Amino acid sequence: MARSIEIERLSPLAQVYRAGPHGNFEDGVGVALSEPRPGSIVQLAAWPGEERRMIDAIRTVTGLALPDGAGGGVSEGGKAAFGFAPGKFTVVDEKDGLAAAFAKAITPAIGTVTDLSHGRTVIRIEGPEAEWVLAKFFAIDFSLAAFPLGAGRSTTHHDVFAQIQRTGPDRFDVHVFRSFARSFWTALCHGSEEVGYEVA
Amino acid sequence: MSPRRTEQGGRIDRARTIRFTFDGAAYSGHPGDTLASALLANGVSLFGRSFKYHRPRGVLAAGVDEPNALVTILRGEAREPNIPATMVEIHDGLVAESQNRFPSLSWDVSAVNQLAGPLISGGFYYKTFMGPIIGPLKGTRFWMVCERFIRRAAGLGRAGTVPDKARYERMNAFCDVLVVGAGPAGLTAAKAAAEKGARVILADLEPRLGGSANWSGEVIDGKPAAEWAAAAVNDLRAVDNVRLLPRTTVWGYYDGNTLAALERVSDHKQHPAKGEPRHRQWTIRAKTVVLATGALERPLVFPGNDRPGVMLAGAAERYANEFGVLPGQKVAVFTNNDSAYRAAHALKQAGAAIVAIIDVRADISADMLDFAGKAETEMLPGHAVVAAEGGRKLTGIKVQRFDAASGTVSGEPRSVAVDCLLMSGGWSPAIHLASQAGAKAEWNEALQAFLPPKPTQKWTGAGAFTGAFSTDEAIEQGHAAGLAACSAGRDHFDAPAIEAAPGAPGSEPVFEIQVTGKSFVDFQHDVTAEDVRLAHREGFVSVEHLKRYTTLGMATDQGKTSNVPGLAIMAAALGKAIPQVGTTRFRPPYSAVSIGSLAGERHGDLKPERLTPMHDWHIANGATMYSAGLWWRPQIYGHAGETVEQAYVRETKGTRGTAGIVDVSTLGKIAVQGPDAAELLDRVYTNMFSTLAVGKARYGLMLREDGLAFDDGTTWRLGEQDFLMTTTTANAGKVMQHLEYFLDVIWPELKVTITSVTDQWAGAAIGGPNARAILAACVEGTAVDNAALPFMGIVHGEIGGVPVMICRLSFSGEMAFEVYCGADWGTHVWETLMEVGKPFGLVPYGLEALGTMRIEKGHVTGAEIDGRTTARDLHLDWMLSKKKPFVGSAMMDREGLVAADRLQLVGIVSLDNRPLNGGAHIVEQLDEENPHGSIGHITACCYSPSLGKYIALALVEGGKARHGSRAFTSDPLRGRFGPVEIVSHHFFDPEGSRMHG
Repeated sequence: MARSIEIERLSPLAQVYRAGPHGNFEDGVGVALSEPRPGSIVQLAAWPGEERRMIDAIRTVTGLALPDGAGGGVSEGGKAAFGFAPGKFTVVDEKDGLAAAFAKAITPAIGTVTDLSHGRTVIRIEGPEAEWVLAKFFAIDFSLAAFPLGAGRSTTHHDVFAQIQRTGPDRFDVHVFRSFARSFWTALCHGSEEVGYEVA
Repeated sequence: MSPRRTEQGGRIDRARTIRFTFDGAAYSGHPGDTLASALLANGVSLFGRSFKYHRPRGVLAAGVDEPNALVTILRGEAREPNIPATMVEIHDGLVAESQNRFPSLSWDVSAVNQLAGPLISGGFYYKTFMGPIIGPLKGTRFWMVCERFIRRAAGLGRAGTVPDKARYERMNAFCDVLVVGAGPAGLTAAKAAAEKGARVILADLEPRLGGSANWSGEVIDGKPAAEWAAAAVNDLRAVDNVRLLPRTTVWGYYDGNTLAALERVSDHKQHPAKGEPRHRQWTIRAKTVVLATGALERPLVFPGNDRPGVMLAGAAERYANEFGVLPGQKVAVFTNNDSAYRAAHALKQAGAAIVAIIDVRADISADMLDFAGKAETEMLPGHAVVAAEGGRKLTGIKVQRFDAASGTVSGEPRSVAVDCLLMSGGWSPAIHLASQAGAKAEWNEALQAFLPPKPTQKWTGAGAFTGAFSTDEAIEQGHAAGLAACSAGRDHFDAPAIEAAPGAPGSEPVFEIQVTGKSFVDFQHDVTAEDVRLAHREGFVSVEHLKRYTTLGMATDQGKTSNVPGLAIMAAALGKAIPQVGTTRFRPPYSAVSIGSLAGERHGDLKPERLTPMHDWHIANGATMYSAGLWWRPQIYGHAGETVEQAYVRETKGTRGTAGIVDVSTLGKIAVQGPDAAELLDRVYTNMFSTLAVGKARYGLMLREDGLAFDDGTTWRLGEQDFLMTTTTANAGKVMQHLEYFLDVIWPELKVTITSVTDQWAGAAIGGPNARAILAACVEGTAVDNAALPFMGIVHGEIGGVPVMICRLSFSGEMAFEVYCGADWGTHVWETLMEVGKPFGLVPYGLEALGTMRIEKGHVTGAEIDGRTTARDLHLDWMLSKKKPFVGSAMMDREGLVAADRLQLVGIVSLDNRPLNGGAHIVEQLDEENPHGSIGHITACCYSPSLGKYIALALVEGGKARHGSRAFTSDPLRGRFGPVEIVSHHFFDPEGSRMHG
């Protein structure tokens, strides 16, 4: 029988993901939308006072060196990590198996590991109008000065909770609950029509 | 050439022609025209009818302060009323209609109201409400008769009835400096702040930035002011740290320097670009704000001041200079200040004859006399206009000697033939946003105006907003405000040289020429000076009461032109000074805001939907989907020709006969992890969880702190410090908040993390006599027999190559299992189960069958855990641990919560073999005509295929004590009354033999 790693994971966006240019794209597209589909999404929570050891564990497992301070993050080499609340971090890897790796590295004395690889959908928006389009949805200052590269933010659009990481100067990865992903994607496409968008 | 279009000048593009219609007639204009300017250019003087008296009205102003010329704009079948014609940019295909007239604008039957003036004076509807007594009609009955007619006659315009298909959006913005108003002060402030590197947003409600520079006729820095402004705008547009927002009205100033603004993105276009919204609602969070919102001119109050052809002097100047339109050919000017002389000069230069300047002041400065001389006009100092004559257009005025000190007229009135009268009663700084931001406006005697209060939030003022009415002051202040806004020190500033018309600020304190005749204060609500005095005579002394009684300042223009004159007339009546009477605080919005823009993209588009991992499978397999909160769940998988009842009966029989499968992915799932996880569960659940073995699940009940039942569900112990809590679908969020609250606030010492993992797991419940056999046929890596998987046991294995967790528990009452896997594999596992289950007769079932089976079993859901029931009411007292305290335990034994007459859970059987209704009452008396004495109500109902009867769960007084007794269901709303039997809520297999196999 086929093993799980061979069974294709079904994206909640599959039915609405239409590659190609859309909206007002005749004069160029303002944003590109895509679904990176990482293999692993893991949530880590450190007990108070154990944040440093958690950051060390993240570096040990992923090689990502997180800056101190709330909301700091880093994204490189197919991996990303950011703080989204005091002592809480989201870590993403394009490969699967991250939760198991963290389960070994993070003892109960440090904190907890929660696998959300299926529970969250990552939607990427990239391009010169990415800040403009996201500003339609979230009451967050998306300017580079206020939202530095690698940093993460927890926020909400109406009933849709979202964690957002800036993974490039004009690129953001928006993590939403899987069940809301199609609805949010549809809204994001709608909001992107004005600037023209391309689904990669 | 249009009859009123000037030969040259204006900021319109004369090379291009735009065609539009007004009241069905075709007109043309040019790019840059407003509807008002284009219609004026076409010789139109009558724009609408007034609110109450249906008097003919023309254009009073040229901007957002226009009270008269309200029009309805039609976009397809959608209609938007009450748009000032002065704020409508014309475009090809624009369709506009006048309002408040029938059958036509020029011949309006309701104009007869003008004869009924004394009957419908200020506060008339309050008096109508009070009486009088006429035969059988008195008090409220009289009002009810009048109400029909008043409501038909009242209101401004007519709202549309078809859905508005336009697109609206919301936008969030953050900046260091928000500059409101792009006149010379605002432009200079934005430039100063931008040069210091600040992130600047510059918003102005007009399409053409530049404010007064576009019509002042002044020279700035050697260039015509309009060119200077255009160059300044271009400079700002070229830098990255400035966002320009033309056509954007900043309409609300809220706490924390949060401002609301409405951008009219595509109203001026015949065809919006793809994806372009009509309006965009901005929420701007600004570190500092520069308010450079200018000033609004006040009318003078005299008889006939509302006639078409009577216009604010500054507005006429703007029509002449910005739009190349003459509001009249023979023009008189009536003023109490110097600014109107500039308008006279502008109109003279544009080609009009200035017949006379009537100034209430006897002493006019030499500068102004000299300036007036250039307009080749007759000067009438110490005079006032005492009447404006004409019907649908102005034909002439009457002028009399006037003593400003006493406010009296003398001598014989003299008639002057004019087709346009310009008036100026002084200027009021547009302090609305500052007032909204907090603090009370301050009266300035010299300027005869309210000035902005001292800031209580982070804003700075500049220009006419502060009472500095000259352009050189505006530019100086703008520069200083721009620097101050970004905390930069003053630097050397080469202020540009200004060539401006002469004139001193301030005005003579004359607001009204008190002679006989209808003198309007609030044009839009038809409030006259006499109405204000009537309110005073009737005992109103507070300006707030005056406002509400007369409706002064309460129309869509929010009294932009009427507040100060109204206050002055009230003050005079009271014998007080204006500041002693006080002023009302302004509130948002500054001008009308489209409802669509407030709804934003939530209008017909985004109602977020939560979809389970198997959603598309359900659709593809004929499910009728049903919204449960934000979730969409299968209601039934109907076959052709089946009713809902037939479908759920078939699905229930299939499940109880062979096997059924239902999507339970929507159940709330919360990962509870950490060394103190078990301790937390012991505290929040009524029963014990610390004793639960790893690999086992337990049904749990939570109470609220007040002792009432809160939520139920099973919690699985996956590891020593790792639990998976499930909640009801509806309460998942509430339970999460409940736990977060206790962890954050009450027990921060507990080392527990909680995470919503609802979306991590796809869940399928498979139940029925063949359920175990189906699993046995497809699960690898674990046995599923009774030994390996006892009731409430958990095993891990694989289905179709995908890791799964299986817990044996039952909601249906059958031998049942919940199968969980990663959500992205949910459809794969579901399809595998369906395929394997085919020979076993596996049927998918929806919410209706799920509900039916749970009613048959007497299991409770949110319908019974309704926030009013206790554990005892629901016969769950066996779950109340006596060995430990838990949330709610201290309060659950209160007298009222253990009373014998509480509503308790029972079963109901319909004795007339007719369906029961949720929400129907249970009554004891056979009195269908007058049902009374409710002893409870039905919470859930169905046809039970297992019993062959219509059954229900109900909450009934006395509960168990009534088992076996008869009563009646009463549902007058749905016309249902019939006999029922009260029975145990355990309808089906009360021993649980099927579940345990």
